[in-house]
Amino acid sequence: MTATRLGLVAVVLSLAGCGDGLTPHPICPAGFSGVCGTVTFRGALPDSTDAVYVVAYAAFPESAAALFTFQPFPPPSLALDSAARAAPQLYQLPLPNGTYHWVLAAWKKVGTLTPASADSLLREAGYYRDPADTTKAGVVAVSGATTGIDFLVDFTNMHPVSYYFPPLASRP
Amino acid sequence: MKASFALPLLFAARLAGQETGIVYGSVTDSSGTALPRAFVRVTSRAGGVRVIATASTDAGGAYRFDSLPVGWLRIEAGSIGYRQASDTLILRAGDSTRVDLHLPPSAVLLSPTIVTAAKRSQLLDQAITSVVLLEQRQIAQQAVNRIDEAVDRAPGVQFISGQVNIRGSSGFVQGLGSRVLLLVDGVPANQGDRGGINWDVIPVDRVERVEVVKGAGSALYGSSAFGGVVNLITRELPEGWHGLMRATMGAYANPPHEVWRFRDFTGIQDGVDVAGSYGRDALRGGLSIGARHSDGYRQQDQADHWQVTGKGDWKPRPAIRVSLSAAWASDQYGVPEPWCGIGDCDDRGEANQPFKIDTANLGNRTRSDKGYLTALVTRTPSQRLTWLARASWLRTRFTDAYPKRQPPLGNADYAIANRYGVEGRLVSQPDSSRVVTAGVEGAIADVWSNIFSGDTAGGTGRHTQGEYAAYAEAEQILGPTRVTIGARSDFLVVDGGGFTAFVSPRVGAVWPTGNGSWRASVGRAFRAASLAERFVATSALSFQVIPNPSLTSEEGWSTELGRSWRGVSWLRGDAALFWTEARRLIEPVFTPAAQIQFQNLQRARLVGLDLSVTATPVTSRLSTTLAYQYLHARELQTDTAPQRPLLFRPRHLLTLSADYAVDRYSVGADFRYSSRYERGDPLFTQDERFSAQVLDLRAGWTNGSLDVRVKVANALNYIYNLAPRTLEPVRTLTLVAAYTR
Repeated sequence: MTATRLGLVAVVLSLAGCGDGLTPHPICPAGFSGVCGTVTFRGALPDSTDAVYVVAYAAFPESAAALFTFQPFPPPSLALDSAARAAPQLYQLPLPNGTYHWVLAAWKKVGTLTPASADSLLREAGYYRDPADTTKAGVVAVSGATTGIDFLVDFTNMHPVSYYFPPLASRP
Repeated sequence: MKASFALPLLFAARLAGQETGIVYGSVTDSSGTALPRAFVRVTSRAGGVRVIATASTDAGGAYRFDSLPVGWLRIEAGSIGYRQASDTLILRAGDSTRVDLHLPPSAVLLSPTIVTAAKRSQLLDQAITSVVLLEQRQIAQQAVNRIDEAVDRAPGVQFISGQVNIRGSSGFVQGLGSRVLLLVDGVPANQGDRGGINWDVIPVDRVERVEVVKGAGSALYGSSAFGGVVNLITRELPEGWHGLMRATMGAYANPPHEVWRFRDFTGIQDGVDVAGSYGRDALRGGLSIGARHSDGYRQQDQADHWQVTGKGDWKPRPAIRVSLSAAWASDQYGVPEPWCGIGDCDDRGEANQPFKIDTANLGNRTRSDKGYLTALVTRTPSQRLTWLARASWLRTRFTDAYPKRQPPLGNADYAIANRYGVEGRLVSQPDSSRVVTAGVEGAIADVWSNIFSGDTAGGTGRHTQGEYAAYAEAEQILGPTRVTIGARSDFLVVDGGGFTAFVSPRVGAVWPTGNGSWRASVGRAFRAASLAERFVATSALSFQVIPNPSLTSEEGWSTELGRSWRGVSWLRGDAALFWTEARRLIEPVFTPAAQIQFQNLQRARLVGLDLSVTATPVTSRLSTTLAYQYLHARELQTDTAPQRPLLFRPRHLLTLSADYAVDRYSVGADFRYSSRYERGDPLFTQDERFSAQVLDLRAGWTNGSLDVRVKVANALNYIYNLAPRTLEPVRTLTLVAAYTR
């Protein structure tokens, strides 16, 4: 009988120790270096979508050749099923400490990406904006975990590479 | 009391002729809870030891013997589930002596009587399906505010954010389309619009016992009994004046992590219920009123509740009983769902703020009023025949206020629903080997609403649904075996359209054995889509919810093989294998156009094992229970989709309970484990899923008419959710004091 009771107690204790339940989960985990935030989606997902990546540039690319200087590599992509697009989606972008002048979401069409095909396959779908002047890209200073870098991914207002090169003064 | 004292007195009494006295008192369990219908007998030594009087206790556990002969007497009391207790006394002429008896629990349980499984009175071990009983003392031990909190701890039963599941039947559908039928004293009480259940319409202290019938019950009860039936049986009205006052108070634990704090005070709850009744031989009546307030344990979780219930019985003749019951309850509460995700509020850098709600839903409130009125006539013209007729009216009205909602939908959703029901039933026992139950039943639900209108532009509409049925079931004793066979035909009409017919047959048998019994049953189940599921047109969690008027009824076959076992005096068990094959199950579906719509799934299968063991090891003061349910719930493969788990069905559900009682004191604990869902919610695909691990601790003290209970629910303050982004209760301290006269 004692063994039965001890067994019962052991079952309860082992089950009680099975998990911790819901615990605080920082958007940017401890020890993380980079930016964290949310993207909010607008518009229907375009046909032939391959992925939407979040990337950062230390300096705004001055030419198409500089397109591939983004960080990190490989870039993280966003979940795109309809449920995931319905609510703000968390992203985490691991980056070394430093200053980044363009944090953006890049939409990619299905196909093999090369410098030659970039203009037809890539679109800027949204970027982090300067809170003081939302017509401009926001500058992000990364020092450890940097939070609050939230922006909109707008599938109804995307821009190809050729929209930016040569860059226009009025654009980011 | 020694006989040497009694004999001279007895002698003296005899000399005095036929002098008599009165003995009265109460019979309670060892915790002081009254035991109605306990058997009481009086033994005298005069002229040899013999029983000179017997009686049963009334609903308040009281008994009384007038005109007992003076002298030495033994008063003995017994009740199913308890050991006998006795006391002796010397009764003197003209004395009025009180003898209270406390019965300790017994491991050797005789089979109690149930009324739900076969729509008639029968012994529990003669039911062809699994039945769980919650007696009044078990409910009192739980120190709950609402009856669903007690039902939630029954073996094989799980509530998911207020929605009851029996063997995984309902899942979670925001309270719509319950696959469990609620009865109040045998009268259906599911809402006319949503088909869901208002558990708070009957106050806890009015419930005498709860019967939970598992598995398909459509063969007797029709729609909604797809997965089971819960019958709340209210207290009988005792003779004389009786009163009860029940007060509750308590407090909620603050969030266990500082980053989740959402207020700078400790939330409390309090409430009071007052009930009184008076009865004479032919006429009895009772009234109960109550109110409750809760600050809640989350942001925007305040709730206020008011209720009044009444019941009356009239017995113009011994064989006729007329009962009237009525209840009304009103609730006003904030809507604390869904919890705040990233960027949905001041998230303080957290992926979730489970105690806060998103800013877009701030200010959302609900007012819910509901009530019912039932009339029941029962007549037993002979020992072989009983008939009853009943009529009922259930009305619900709710208004959901959404102050921040954007056009075209307005800032409020509302629905007014009436459900009118009638039934005639005949129970015949032509001979001792056969019982036949037959009846006809009808119900009409009408709904006036701007959310269940079918109009996606937010307009208001009216819809009706009629359900008309005839049923019959016979039980035949064949040797040691009881065989049951029956069927019910249901005819449905929606908005005056054509009839849709369903036939729900059922067959079962019970084989008694030396140490228990075997049982087996197979039956067809169906559930008509609720008017809400057909015609809902609103928005939820930023998604448009669109109607589906072409929804068809869901149906299935349910079978069970069970074994009850009482092999040794301190141990008894019950096990059942169950299997349900369901077709066209109605579930919310996320469409490719990012809309939510109720649709008929192709096929689903729910298979599992239901096991419960009750033991009184070491000492009869300690009673323990282990209940385990294994559930394999799957949407079956189709041409376009692979097999996958059904939503919101845990594979493992375990309940462990222990109670220890000494005289007027008792302590107990419950532990509930529910495994994490195998499949994530389609709306919040990235949310974590958790198991539930909830430990409740309780203690009780009884002193005469006063009963005090303390409970610490979720003592480990385990933070988890069962429904999407809906936090389950945190650690809650509740103190309940009940005074009965």
